[in-house]
Amino acid sequence: MLARTVTHALVGLYPRRVEVEAHLQRGAPAFTIVGLADRACQEAKHRVRSGITSAELEWPRSRLTVNLAPAGLRKEGSGFDVPIALAVLAASGQLPADALAGHAAIGELALDGRLRPVPGALVAAEGARRAGLDRVVCAAESGAEVALAGIEPVPVPHLAEAVAYLRGLRDPPPAHAPPEPCPPPAHGPDLRDVRGQERARRALEIAAAGGHNLLLAGPPGTGKTMLARRLPGILPVLDDEGALEVTRIHSVAGVLPSGAGLVRLPPFRAPHHSASTAAIVGGGGGSGGPHVGEATLAHRGVLFLDELPEFARAALESLRQPLEDGLVTVVRVAGRATFPARFQLVATMNLCPCGARGVPGAACACSAQRLQQHRERLSRALLDRFDLALTVPRSRGEELAALPGEGSEPVRERVEAARQRLAAGAPPLSSPADALLTRAVERLPLSGRGRARVATVAATVAALSACDNVGVEHLAEALSYRAPQELTA
Amino acid sequence: MSELAVAMFAAETGAHLLAAPASRRYEAFARSFDEADCRRQLAGRGIRWVARRDDGYPARLRSIHDPPIGLFIRGAASLELLDRPSVAIVGARACSPYGSEVGTTFARRLAGAGVVVVSGLARGVDAAAHRGALATGVTVAVLGCGIDRDYPIAHASLAAEIEANGLIVSEYPPGVEPAPWRFPARNRIVAGLADATVVVEARARSGALITADFALEEGREVLAVPGEITSHLSAGSNALLRLGATPATDASDVLEAIGIESATAVVSEGRPADLSATAEAVKTLVADAPVGVDEIVRRTGLGASEVSAALVELELHALVTEAEGVYRGVIRPA
Repeated sequence: MLARTVTHALVGLYPRRVEVEAHLQRGAPAFTIVGLADRACQEAKHRVRSGITSAELEWPRSRLTVNLAPAGLRKEGSGFDVPIALAVLAASGQLPADALAGHAAIGELALDGRLRPVPGALVAAEGARRAGLDRVVCAAESGAEVALAGIEPVPVPHLAEAVAYLRGLRDPPPAHAPPEPCPPPAHGPDLRDVRGQERARRALEIAAAGGHNLLLAGPPGTGKTMLARRLPGILPVLDDEGALEVTRIHSVAGVLPSGAGLVRLPPFRAPHHSASTAAIVGGGGGSGGPHVGEATLAHRGVLFLDELPEFARAALESLRQPLEDGLVTVVRVAGRATFPARFQLVATMNLCPCGARGVPGAACACSAQRLQQHRERLSRALLDRFDLALTVPRSRGEELAALPGEGSEPVRERVEAARQRLAAGAPPLSSPADALLTRAVERLPLSGRGRARVATVAATVAALSACDNVGVEHLAEALSYRAPQELTA
Repeated sequence: MSELAVAMFAAETGAHLLAAPASRRYEAFARSFDEADCRRQLAGRGIRWVARRDDGYPARLRSIHDPPIGLFIRGAASLELLDRPSVAIVGARACSPYGSEVGTTFARRLAGAGVVVVSGLARGVDAAAHRGALATGVTVAVLGCGIDRDYPIAHASLAAEIEANGLIVSEYPPGVEPAPWRFPARNRIVAGLADATVVVEARARSGALITADFALEEGREVLAVPGEITSHLSAGSNALLRLGATPATDASDVLEAIGIESATAVVSEGRPADLSATAEAVKTLVADAPVGVDEIVRRTGLGASEVSAALVELELHALVTEAEGVYRGVIRPA
């Protein structure tokens, strides 16, 4: 007896159709899985066998071979458990022969027969929809995710219920409407908590409006990190296409909270400074080809690097490609993959290794050499990619005692208005502004790249003030956010 | 006696020699030493050698109590440069933005008045002084290592600029590695070459104070730039003031100390700028004390964006500078 189920394996961020064939033949009882299955996938044998027995179904007493086709594609993970179990049940006549037609399946089996969600259900479901299938049998927790792909989910908590449904004993569960596309209320920490820091707040608003990369330098305890963490709260929510794209990536990486719908808020990723190059841009992953890194998880959102000079230099330099192209290409022995990585980079750094520099009255204990090393950790090429850079001085007591600042809500409204303006076309440079820029390039340390960046930032400043072209005041403000001279000297 | 032989022998043995030693080893070295060949090799690398008894040896340096036996020199200028009125500007390597700003401004003014600025090519104040002097005149760097080395290597391009119309000198022949004990020895040359020494910023136990000590021993003028009493970086320079050093609050103080008429010598730099009203208000605030944008915002009631724009306007007119998030006024002639 032969039976087949369809599922989809993940190759990078894309689904690849996999047919699970189960074949029963006469001979001593045995269970073999073939088709380049990795270790987690080979262990499916034990889970499937226990799961079927726990669901009070019968484990076939004959020679059983399961093939995962195409045999040349590496399969990894536990998502093949459910399709294997269903194929085995169909091959042993415990499911009607045509019951599996039009169905895909994905999920892991617990030893007691329950279905567990697996990463990438959204992508697998998209593959099923494109393959023209009608329904996806999945764990109850994955139902919402599968529904996002525009295909009908069959969310079942237990293998026995899946069988009952496929035997026609139970109605298919009610079709899920995709979750409401309304912005979720929780926007994370609010700007209201930041007192004083007028200049840094303004820079944050400009960065949000223009999607600019932002570098905050300054002594510890000035609220650099606090400010940066409030950036997602003033960014516009993702549009439908963006939300689906981000949800897909997060689904594959397994960081999507179970039962959650579309990711509507721009992601905010803050890897620790001990992160490796592979963790930042993707890679590693062994048999299944490269995995996505933080740069991709931050796609359409914010990649936040706290204490920038503490990161490994190789990891930082690897960010140059995504910063330029919005993509990362990872090449490994196991394969090559290109992931989207269009993020906004926000970073903080101290002015010196001991942190005392920039604090009035504090004695910085760093030698000239250590200072130099601290600065040299960041290449000029990387610094050039920060459109806005500023030093955040330590707030004074009176400032901390000040009233709470403006909240995130009104700032987000201004940012959204500016984005709409910019989307219609960046305001052009007025001729006095152009003359000022030329004069500034002569007098201030600005590279050729710096000139273009200043002009872009100035356009954002003009858009924030709802002006149709870039005036001298907009350009002058943009010039004030160029890289601090102590970093570039 | 061949001074060049002594200098080469000192380098080879790692000794500090001011005259030919009475040792058999030196005698053997001197016998086999081919001075003409050595001079040819130096000349081939663009290095000049001037011995203590030569006419070209700087007079001021000859008059100190332990003048080097000779100097190795590279650079485009003639040796006469070392006998022009000259001022040493020295200070901390890990200086503050204030120190680097003062070092640059003083050097620019002094070089503009025809004074040769001498320093040690080190990081911090030294480099600031060389850079300031290069903008308006010539400067001399004294190395604490072999004449062929640019130390620290990060200042290789600065060294090249100095060479273009100034001089780089060292008492050590090519190939000598930098060593900690050579830097105090270098400092005596810095002080010895100059009519006066200005200490810009120095910690309590700083190499710049060694230079000042040498200058005092030789009876040269020592000036110190007053710093904040709360700043560790100014502890050494303020201590010098307490001991009776002349306070240097403007380049004209230095010119006066070496007997140059400042009123005629200082070149006026720039005309009153045509500033916006906001920029004028911000300028007045910054002139009082170094200040950050947020404080200007609070004290003027202007928005952060207007203040930022005004500060850029002032920066472009070279009226303020920014470092570490703090803006300060630029020292200008009254």
